[in-house]
Amino acid sequence: MTMFAGTLPTLLAAADGPFIATGSAPQWVALMPGLPLLGAALCVLFACLNVKSKLPGYATVALLAGGFVTALAAFLQGPDGYGVATIFRWIHASIGADADASITANFGFYMDGLSMLWMLFVTGLATVIGLYSTEYVASDKGLGYCRFFFAFNLFVFSMASLVMADNLLLLFLGWEGVGLCSYLLIGYFYKKPEAVAAAKKAFIINRIGDLGLLMAIGATFVVFGTLEFRPLFEMIAQGVDGKGQAIGHTWVVVVIPLLLTAGAFGKSAQLFFYVWLPDAMEGPTPVSALIHAATMVTAGVYLIARMFPLYAADDAMVALTVVAWCGAITAFWAATIEFAQYDIKRIMGYSTISQLGFMFAGLGLLGTTGAVFHVFTHAFFKATLFLCCGAVMHGFGGQLSLRRLSGVMWMKGFGITGVCMFIGCLSLSGVPFTAGFFSKDMILAQAFATPDEMIGGATFIGLLLLLTATMTAYYTFRVFFRVFVGPRHFEPGEDDHGHDDGLGHDAHAHHHHNPTEEEEGDALHTGFHPHAPGWAMNGAMVLLAVGTILVASLYFVNKKEDHGWAGTMVRHSTAAYPSPGLAHGKDKPAATTVEPLPLGAPAPEHGQAGKPHAKAGTFLGQDPFKIMYYVSAVLGLIGILAAAWFHAPKGAWGLGIGNRELPSKVRMDAVAARFGPIPKWAENKWYVDELYHAIIVKPLLVLSHVFHAFDKLVIDGLVDLVGALPRWLGTLLRPSQSGVLHGYATGMVAGSAVLIVLVVLVAMWS
Amino acid sequence: MAAKIALIWPEIALFITTCLVMLLGLSPNKQWRSLCLPASMVGLTVAGVLAAMGMGVGGPVGDTPLPYLPGFIKVTVAGVGLLLLLLQAGLIDRREEALIASGRAFSALRTNRAEYFALVLFSLTGLMLCASAGDLIWLFLALELTSLPTYVMVAMSSSRNRAQEAGVKYFYLGALGAATFLYGFVMLYGGTGTLQLATMAEVIAAEGVNTITMAGLLLSVLGLAFKIAAVPMHFYTADVYQGAAAPVSAFLAFVPKTAGFVALLLICSAVGWTHGESGNALPEALRIMLWVMAAVTMTVGNVLAILQNSIKRVLAYSSIAHSGYMLVGLLAGPGDGTFGGSGVSAVLFYLAAYGVMNTGAFAVIACLERKAADRGEPMEVEDFDDLRGLWKREPALGVLLAIVTLSLLGFPPLLGFMAKLPLFTSGISAGEIALVVVLGLNSAIAAYYYLRIVKAAMIDDPRGEPGAADSAVHHPAYNLRLVTGLCSALGVVALAILAGQLAERVTEASGYIAPVGPSQPVGSATVLETETLPVQLPMT
Repeated sequence: MTMFAGTLPTLLAAADGPFIATGSAPQWVALMPGLPLLGAALCVLFACLNVKSKLPGYATVALLAGGFVTALAAFLQGPDGYGVATIFRWIHASIGADADASITANFGFYMDGLSMLWMLFVTGLATVIGLYSTEYVASDKGLGYCRFFFAFNLFVFSMASLVMADNLLLLFLGWEGVGLCSYLLIGYFYKKPEAVAAAKKAFIINRIGDLGLLMAIGATFVVFGTLEFRPLFEMIAQGVDGKGQAIGHTWVVVVIPLLLTAGAFGKSAQLFFYVWLPDAMEGPTPVSALIHAATMVTAGVYLIARMFPLYAADDAMVALTVVAWCGAITAFWAATIEFAQYDIKRIMGYSTISQLGFMFAGLGLLGTTGAVFHVFTHAFFKATLFLCCGAVMHGFGGQLSLRRLSGVMWMKGFGITGVCMFIGCLSLSGVPFTAGFFSKDMILAQAFATPDEMIGGATFIGLLLLLTATMTAYYTFRVFFRVFVGPRHFEPGEDDHGHDDGLGHDAHAHHHHNPTEEEEGDALHTGFHPHAPGWAMNGAMVLLAVGTILVASLYFVNKKEDHGWAGTMVRHSTAAYPSPGLAHGKDKPAATTVEPLPLGAPAPEHGQAGKPHAKAGTFLGQDPFKIMYYVSAVLGLIGILAAAWFHAPKGAWGLGIGNRELPSKVRMDAVAARFGPIPKWAENKWYVDELYHAIIVKPLLVLSHVFHAFDKLVIDGLVDLVGALPRWLGTLLRPSQSGVLHGYATGMVAGSAVLIVLVVLVAMWS
Repeated sequence: MAAKIALIWPEIALFITTCLVMLLGLSPNKQWRSLCLPASMVGLTVAGVLAAMGMGVGGPVGDTPLPYLPGFIKVTVAGVGLLLLLLQAGLIDRREEALIASGRAFSALRTNRAEYFALVLFSLTGLMLCASAGDLIWLFLALELTSLPTYVMVAMSSSRNRAQEAGVKYFYLGALGAATFLYGFVMLYGGTGTLQLATMAEVIAAEGVNTITMAGLLLSVLGLAFKIAAVPMHFYTADVYQGAAAPVSAFLAFVPKTAGFVALLLICSAVGWTHGESGNALPEALRIMLWVMAAVTMTVGNVLAILQNSIKRVLAYSSIAHSGYMLVGLLAGPGDGTFGGSGVSAVLFYLAAYGVMNTGAFAVIACLERKAADRGEPMEVEDFDDLRGLWKREPALGVLLAIVTLSLLGFPPLLGFMAKLPLFTSGISAGEIALVVVLGLNSAIAAYYYLRIVKAAMIDDPRGEPGAADSAVHHPAYNLRLVTGLCSALGVVALAILAGQLAERVTEASGYIAPVGPSQPVGSATVLETETLPVQLPMT
């Protein structure tokens, strides 16, 4: 912890108002997006050279590690390195006749606490997961391998552009870039129809959200006259728009945030938009871990955190209330679906949606620190969980059903996987002193600390989130108890990961062991042997599991001043906000070299204006931030115990209360039977996909048929007619090109005469 | 006089080179004769460098209202001329020499004949002189110096009857065109009392356009329409381009066209884009004439091109269409003098771009020959079928053809697009919205036949029947022509990248000094003049 202390800012900025980085960042931060871009180019080169080894993978890992080192170096500079680094002028165009109406979007990077924090885990996780992928997709060595790592690199480049952009246009470039890479990687197994369909679904649903973002960008430009963050936030901090008019109570602070929210919800798979994320699990597992759990899906959280001053400029907090409610409802909704899912990767997918819901709820409840910290810890433990699921999937021929796997941890070579999974599950469940515990607590406590007058129904949101947290602990350990412990049993999946080709087989040959010694079950006579993860996959899982443990300690860094390291980072970013019950601005002297700009329009800030804030709420009569440790710990344990009772095997790993003896026969079955069709509905995800199909896709299809008919008959007819017109005209003119000399001469003279007569007539007539 | 000589150093250099080349050609030594091409190229380069040195040295360099024009035109002519020269060059081989010596065959394009290079260089000299013109007689002589060698070049470009027929047609119709604009020049003299373009500009600015002047203007424009292959003087184009060998067709598509546009620019500048209601248009009658000519020219060129199966005819008709496009810029005039707003700079940009792209297209055609069905000499490639699957047979040629064709179509981000864009913007700035719409529609029509070429070359499979691919052979001078094609494709890409630089140059070159007469011209007075035109016309 002290290693961070050395780098801490000597200046203690006041907690109020957004921190606007005014300095200039070093140019070399461009290496963070630059190295992955180089990696993408190299992968194209490798593909052209037809490289058949793991070279593209290792090159990628090396370059991404370089990116991580750059991020670390930038971080170690501390707040001195915060500012804008303009790499080159990208777009600079004047609009209309007005000379000063110009649009500027540089290829420039805006470094502050928020982008720094994001870049740390994006580059770090990308490196580790890249290492894991070198082995995971090894069966596809050759062009497919290059394709995978090309998209992987391009993703990291796009994500870095998104996070580090110093203007909304570059952010949008990165936003679309990550969407594209997500599409490419979900559809990586392009011969699988489900994967292709999932890729298209993800892409199309994201488009709807992107429309919102694009409209928000357009509106921002119209209102503020700029897309660059620094002038934008300076204006917002002063509560004025580009023409100097107050924005406090206008549509600006409601509509633009809501449009941004639409974009964020699309990318982060929240309410109405979430349906693409579970299907996206069709992609290779490392992709699910990196893109659909740790990084890309948090882009929505990033967007709102980045634009937080605009959200907070609204006195009524309309947009934030929407964000909070949608987040909480999504968190709960996704958790209910998980209860009845049997595909472990999908469970993790829904869990991601649910946890993202927590983050959005945290943002909406004015607790930016908690939300951002949860993004950070979630990235680690969810990536760990995904990689472990991937190891199982890789080892058992694509088997993901928790009814067909049991006791995986006890099989040879899967020990590390099991332990890492356990660590991840603990963190996700919010067991005390894990990373997930601290970050989730901040959000839960914030829900009760934030008074209902500021965010309508904050208390109710808090209760909903508490319930969800309990459910989270249950479904997480449901997976663990059924798949990783208990009697050993497996049925291999259909998907071979290409084991049939000689290459993949050789690579795993040394893992194969004598089946008589270990495996029981019906897999024996099929001749299938699970192959345990190799050094790269194990190494990556261990690194992430250790990381999951370590990030918990970040909560204690700067605990007094900023509520943890994430708080320090957030305080040096535009997401800085005096969260009710958490802000220390009151009792601290605002001794700072960085002059915080007073937040103009809302200005109900703590201390600074002297105006009393609405009093922070309490929970059970106590400070929520203190009591929540105990409450959530108890609730988490209840969830785990419930999972143990219903799903755990007999014996110590069942905590003494489990009674499962067969792989798929559990107490829960009897309970579920009493609920009639409800579990079935939940398993079918409450038929939301079907609903969307019926109310959106079907009508559109019908409409498209109508348009198609119209198109064929009317438009095509017209186009054909127009197309035939020049041809017909040409046929008409063709005889004039007779090739006869005197004919041409006559034509020239006659043409001249006609022209002159025409001119004379027109001149006379006018 | 001294000032005028200082202006024409490039032409003088080129003329000296021409004389030297002719002397070289007299040598009985094959080695000496083979120096014709290098000597010509050196001379042209020197001329270009001289012109570039004289460009923008400070102060007006010409004596017309477009004083900066000559420098740019000469540099462009030298640049494109080098490409064209490379395309005309043949090889001296023993077989051909023997055939010529025995009087059994003579193909000017197969051998390095000094007289042929001299014709090329004389024509280019004439083109440069056009740009230097300060008075009508100079302009007429320069135009004829540009054109006369081309008549001979067409006729001697191939030993086939078709070439001779094309040469004769070209000469007669060219004489008709020349007579028309000479008559126009005479009437301009009669109407304004001067031959000097600068003085004429002052007179017109002071006294407005009288009927005789207007009649002279209309006739001059009609006559010059022959040079640029615009309606109604376009009839010869397809026959001549098809009859002449491809390198000569490439020459015809650039050199006389550029001469015509330079002459049109000079004459229009003498009239001044200072008339009309807004005070920045041509006189109404001339405007109508150019408007109709532009619209009809591009439409006729494009609709006739889509019916063709012969590649060279397609390129010929498209050359008509391109003239129509450029007339929009001529009509728009210098506007506000910025790159996007000035039609003059748009025309200059387009001329340079068209020269590079078009030479590339013809160079690819010139690379290929096909065996005659019966026997005897291979013939030029003729129709689309000859290009089928070019990409598979000759990847380099296929890609080159695709690049230059897409550029001719105006496909972003290639040079053709960069060139067409200012034509649109200047047309809009000048308020010629309807004409710009016609221009847009025509660009769409043009896509049909240009994409057809690309499709034939890049997508279609080679012809099915066995041995079909063998029927395509390389022209003896294949390598030189391939280099020409490569250079022009490179130019298309490089100039697109350096479009900003080129735009600066053309904006500089299109600097227009609106003529000021003793009394300021008033727009309404000019309109009055044109209104009286029909009444007075019979008296002329």
